[in-house]
Amino acid sequence: MKTTYGILIVGALALVSVGVRAHHAFATEFDVERPVELTGIVSKVEMINPHSWIHIDVTEAGGATTTWMIEGGSPNALYRQGITKNSVPLGAELFVFGYQARDGGMRAVGRTITFSDGRALFFSGTQVPDEVD
Amino acid sequence: MSNRSLAGAIGVLAAGALLVSAQLVAQSSDSEIPRTAAGKPNFQGHWSSATVTPLQRPQELADKEFFTPEEFAEYEAGRLVVTETEANTAGDVHYQLVDFGLDRSQNDRAVNLRTSIITAPADGRIPSTTPEAQAIAAERRAYSQEHAYDSASNRPLAERCITWGHNGAPMTPVGYNSNNQIIQTGDHLVFVQEMMQEPRIIPLDGRDRISAEIPQWFGSSRGHWEGDTIVVETTNYTGLTNRNITPTGKVTERFTMTGPDTVLYQFTVDDPKVWTSTWSGEYSMSRTEGPMFEYACHEGNYGLPNILSGIRAEEAAGLR
Repeated sequence: MKTTYGILIVGALALVSVGVRAHHAFATEFDVERPVELTGIVSKVEMINPHSWIHIDVTEAGGATTTWMIEGGSPNALYRQGITKNSVPLGAELFVFGYQARDGGMRAVGRTITFSDGRALFFSGTQVPDEVD
Repeated sequence: MSNRSLAGAIGVLAAGALLVSAQLVAQSSDSEIPRTAAGKPNFQGHWSSATVTPLQRPQELADKEFFTPEEFAEYEAGRLVVTETEANTAGDVHYQLVDFGLDRSQNDRAVNLRTSIITAPADGRIPSTTPEAQAIAAERRAYSQEHAYDSASNRPLAERCITWGHNGAPMTPVGYNSNNQIIQTGDHLVFVQEMMQEPRIIPLDGRDRISAEIPQWFGSSRGHWEGDTIVVETTNYTGLTNRNITPTGKVTERFTMTGPDTVLYQFTVDDPKVWTSTWSGEYSMSRTEGPMFEYACHEGNYGLPNILSGIRAEEAAGLR
């Protein structure tokens, strides 16, 4: 079993389990033509269904702050493993690579979400195939 | 990997080793089954229906009904492989399932040597649909192509947090959060699928059925005991859910405890308006830890208005 805690590089490959359906087609909510890279401070964590949302305050180049909502997965499995919204503390700095909402709003799906020092937010980076071999 | 994740992985493997397949569970001693004060099997608790076994047998497995344990291990390993998507492609517009613990490898799974959940017809596949059902499906597809984004009520039932395709009856495993809770009293069985929020409340007291004129999203169920098995018959479907079972269709389910930690779930779908023959299936549920986090889909369903606002914005920009 391997441990892989490293900085996830933008443009790296996302991990999608075979045959798992989502609650909705994300490509209808977010625009593949609008990739975004964000670094921001956690201001709110919503561990809710059908999908989690993490709010981050992003400081723009001119100094203004914009709040972005980042969509993630259902929190149910996280709760079973003892992870709650407090596991992502307010004030923590996150890095997000994702795709912005089709209406241009400050929302994005979090294709890659890590703490800004590269640590995985939850379980990303685990080497699943090795676990089952 | 974190210690928590490592422990979870070990737990998954241990659970997999302990759980037994549907065709083996009959060997369990009846004395091992927990019983109520009235002497009936006690189903109460939390049960995982997570599995890598597909509902329909893959075409390449043709008439092969069972794997050998070695073949199953190889098949399961293949089903748990995490595939990759490339940045800036439509498939990449998604959060990472592994990050949220939602890939199958991070959840308890029951070993099932069957190559498909469907046991009849013999090819392990849902039978063909009738010309009437095909005509209705074609009509709905045509309407959807023109009106899919007109309003919230035009969106799929799952997107609207009403029902997913795996919600019963018949209940089938789902890709993630495939957990269930059973609450049992002397005269009722309540079955809660982790996704979505609607519990199935099944009277066991022989009461009359509701009027056939009252359709229900999940149908209307009545159950009774046959020995140690609970048999549930469900009618009053809408014809509008993912399985399209019509108001005159019927699903029969059988719940049997085959060990202290295993429930064998069997079902038969009978709807001549939709399928050219009945079809049946079975799988085992394995005892798991509770509680389940309430799904409460409507309350957090930001996705639905977000999708529609995106479409309206594209229409305003002349992109549609």
